[in-house]
Amino acid sequence: MHDFFFNTLVGHVLLVMGETLAVLVPVLMLMAYSTYFERKALGAFQLRRGPNRVGPFGLTQPFADAVKLLFKETIIPAGANRLLFLMAPAITFVLACMAWAVIPTFDGGAVADINVGILYLFAISSLGVYGIVVAGWASNSKYAFLGALRSAAQMISYEVSIGFVLVCVILCAGSLNLNDIVRAQKNLWYCVPLFPMFVVFLVSMLAETNRAPFDLPEGESEIVAGFFVEYSSMAFGLFFLGEYTNMLLMSALASILFLGGWQAPFGLSFIPGVVWLLLKICMFMFFYFWVRATFPRYRYDQLMRLGWKVFLPLSLGWVVVTAGFLEVFHMLPGESM
Amino acid sequence: MISASAFFFYLFSAILLASAAAVVTSRNPVHAVLFLILAFFNAAGLFLLAGAEFLAMILLIVYVGAVAVLFLFVVMMLDVDFVQLREGVQKYAPVGAAVGAVLFGELWAVVLGWQVSPGADSLQGSPTPANMDNTHALGQVLYTDYVYLFQVSSLILLVAMIGAIVLTHRRREGTRRQNITMQQTRSVRDTLETLQVRMGAGVQELGILRPRPRAEPAEEEPRHEHAAGDH
Amino acid sequence: MMNWAAASPEIFLAVAGMAILLFGVLLKKENAALCTMLVLGAFAATFVMVMQTVPQTAYSSLFVTDAFASYAKLLILAGGALTMVLSLDYNERQGIGRFEFPVLMLFSTVGMMTMASAANLMTLYMGLELMSLSIYVLAAFAREELRSAEAGLKYFVLSALASGLLLYGISLTYGFAGTMDFAKLPDAVTGVDGVSTGLMVGIAFVIAGLAFKLSAVPFHMWTPDVYEGAPTPVTAFMSTAPKVAPFVVLLRVLIGPFGHVSVQWQPIIEVVSIASMLLGSFAAIGQTNIKRLMAYSSIGHMGYALVGLAPGTESGVRGVLIYLLTYVAMSAGAFACVIAMRRQGKSVERISDLAGLAKTDLPLASLLTLFMFSMAGVPPFAGFFGKLYVFLAAVQSGLWLLAIVGILTSVVACYYYIRIIKVMFFDAPAPAFDTRSASVSFVAIASGMFTLLFVLALGPFTGAAEAAARVLFG
Repeated sequence: MHDFFFNTLVGHVLLVMGETLAVLVPVLMLMAYSTYFERKALGAFQLRRGPNRVGPFGLTQPFADAVKLLFKETIIPAGANRLLFLMAPAITFVLACMAWAVIPTFDGGAVADINVGILYLFAISSLGVYGIVVAGWASNSKYAFLGALRSAAQMISYEVSIGFVLVCVILCAGSLNLNDIVRAQKNLWYCVPLFPMFVVFLVSMLAETNRAPFDLPEGESEIVAGFFVEYSSMAFGLFFLGEYTNMLLMSALASILFLGGWQAPFGLSFIPGVVWLLLKICMFMFFYFWVRATFPRYRYDQLMRLGWKVFLPLSLGWVVVTAGFLEVFHMLPGESM
Repeated sequence: MISASAFFFYLFSAILLASAAAVVTSRNPVHAVLFLILAFFNAAGLFLLAGAEFLAMILLIVYVGAVAVLFLFVVMMLDVDFVQLREGVQKYAPVGAAVGAVLFGELWAVVLGWQVSPGADSLQGSPTPANMDNTHALGQVLYTDYVYLFQVSSLILLVAMIGAIVLTHRRREGTRRQNITMQQTRSVRDTLETLQVRMGAGVQELGILRPRPRAEPAEEEPRHEHAAGDH
Repeated sequence: MMNWAAASPEIFLAVAGMAILLFGVLLKKENAALCTMLVLGAFAATFVMVMQTVPQTAYSSLFVTDAFASYAKLLILAGGALTMVLSLDYNERQGIGRFEFPVLMLFSTVGMMTMASAANLMTLYMGLELMSLSIYVLAAFAREELRSAEAGLKYFVLSALASGLLLYGISLTYGFAGTMDFAKLPDAVTGVDGVSTGLMVGIAFVIAGLAFKLSAVPFHMWTPDVYEGAPTPVTAFMSTAPKVAPFVVLLRVLIGPFGHVSVQWQPIIEVVSIASMLLGSFAAIGQTNIKRLMAYSSIGHMGYALVGLAPGTESGVRGVLIYLLTYVAMSAGAFACVIAMRRQGKSVERISDLAGLAKTDLPLASLLTLFMFSMAGVPPFAGFFGKLYVFLAAVQSGLWLLAIVGILTSVVACYYYIRIIKVMFFDAPAPAFDTRSASVSFVAIASGMFTLLFVLALGPFTGAAEAAARVLFG
């Protein structure tokens, strides 16, 4: 009965919509609370209390923030390109949500378990630049435009190293499917054999999401607020949502690529895979906050130097090393078949 | 009732054609580039429908994620006056239309004379082998049968890289570069100095100037007096 | 198992190029001369390797080595090496001595060698792009100079269009024949009722794309400006090896896969050839800049060489191969003389700057005279034999029109070649040129000796060309 219903077109569409909601609602809840936890964590790092006024322990703070943003006036600068100005935050947010379609939450579980999942993720994350560039341009403000150029250059630069890190992982796993990549880590998580790439990925994901210590496009010491300097109200809110959703996405990606995704460590497989994945994501989110509290901001030339002169050669070299190692020791995936 | 894939085929094709037309006709160059991106997206969708998922993703990553960003950068930074660019349109339109008509006629002649040679069927690209996916099959021929061309294309990219650097990179005089080794090997002794400071004494009274003159610490004493004398 | 060794000269050259590139980057000092020497060494080693290759097909028949490919590759390497020697001194004096210059020339040469070995339209295209892309950069190499930047940009834009035409032709051919493999194309070309229109259009576009690189009329518009604007060693380079490679590829494509439909492409080649010969001889008359004059001269020479292709016979191909050999030597020598034209540290390019050269510098004047006579086709210099063989081939196949136009335009061309000689020997002397370096003298004298003494070594060279030509006719 069930199978029959889901095989019709309407049933299929409903099923996909249900699956999408089942992924997106938790992601958005997680996103809302990660802003709360960030402030709490920063408070703790700086010997403060963090938000504690709204609700018990400040737990309803994210909703208060959302309501505040919703009730503010949307200001569109004079001379701005109205349509693109309003489209840019939407692009950012929608892209950040779209990427979740391929993230596997348990064995074989993803809204779309496609063959080229990792390429899909890479493609979607490389599209994130558009939200930023369009926002900067449509604002009709030179500060926003400069901020957009910087952010875009930064994202493109670090995408290159991320690409090579992905190639290393793909070489080891022998598949572009994210579920297969997780399955290939059954015995050994890739953070061990590919440790240098794990580090490169951790740093690059900070840069890719424009987070501290690479948040200079929006840093107070540089151009304040960068590309979204002209945005207010929910338009700004969407950028904010997009940024945190992207952080969650990168955390999920790091978990899947290097920490075995839904695989349980130490044989603790009675706890479901979703929980493990969530735990790993939270760990990476904490890493984001920890780094933000600890490191001073990079200068723009230092940022570019790190990306192009350190990470690019390192990751490129590591691709060669990985491929050579796998070839010499006959460990290429599929070779034993 | 049309099938879902047919529906999506017509949807993607229609949007692709419309946005391609908009690329050419839009007045604002930034809009033109954005329409181009939309066209790429729909082309990727068509690839997906054709079962070429790898090509679809590569189209997005390479063309949308890199090439079009570059276009957008250039178009946004250049102050192109499109009114000026369009000035010649009236004058050249007839010639352009004539050339276009001739080309169209030739293409039409080609289409009319279309015939597939008898042996062509066997030579045409064979479909993906049954037991592997599209990406896998592509990799299998790319790195074996076509490895020579693959390597030559990498040389082409290398030359493009060398060319870009040769034509634009110049050493400017007087730029200061960060020397990380130098920064790391600096010791505290070279940069810091501990002084006994009188309570309430100002910087000027103590004669501490920044940056401190390196040589001749003996000079400090008279300057101190001088500074004190001024006040 | 794949036969990697077939392309070992190309692989060696490419790897050497990358090594020299790394060396140049890491050394950091001024090292252009050293890198040029290293590249010349790599060329010499590759030359030896090419001589030792055995005929075979490799890389799932994308790549072929045979006597024809080897002949072309040796000629390409020799032309590249000669012009590289010319760049040594010129680049340093012009302040553009950077190590990327020889490296780019090297990669261009790899592209040309790939073209010479192409057994598939895709290989042809990839080689062509590698060759051209390097030359775009080289043409704009003197980036501080407006003319050079303009030359690079102009060449890039027009050449990209030509590449587009070529690709269009290749895709049409593929669409109608179902293959791009030269070995399989002949079967696919002829359908049930003759050749299809689409395929013919495809062939025409392929010819157009290659004719652009050859600077044959009507695809010649870029030639004078680019020749004039580019740094002189680059101009010398463009008029030697990068003319040989597209030409041998054109020979291979038209004689090989499309050989039995020669009725279809013969008229195109005839028209292009006649137009090139006419334009090359008449347009050059009014030129005052020697580099522009050489540009028109090269258009004309390509026209003469195409005369040998038009009959589509073995003797015609042999004639073309000999023509290309003599043309490379004459061009390299003539450009060596042009590079020697420096006055007070500045390069001069007007023909009037040569006035009375015989009184101030007799050796240079006599060498240039030799090259001009040879280009005009005066016996017994090398240029004469090139013309002789192609015209003979045309006459043998009954293409009288081509031969007659060729001879008449040769007479017209004599006028402007001999005008230069007249300026050098009979005009009032202009101030003397700067002393030239040994490297420039070396190229001029080596090419001069070749041009002068070619008649004595006629046998071996014709033999090699004949062996190469025989390959195409199976």
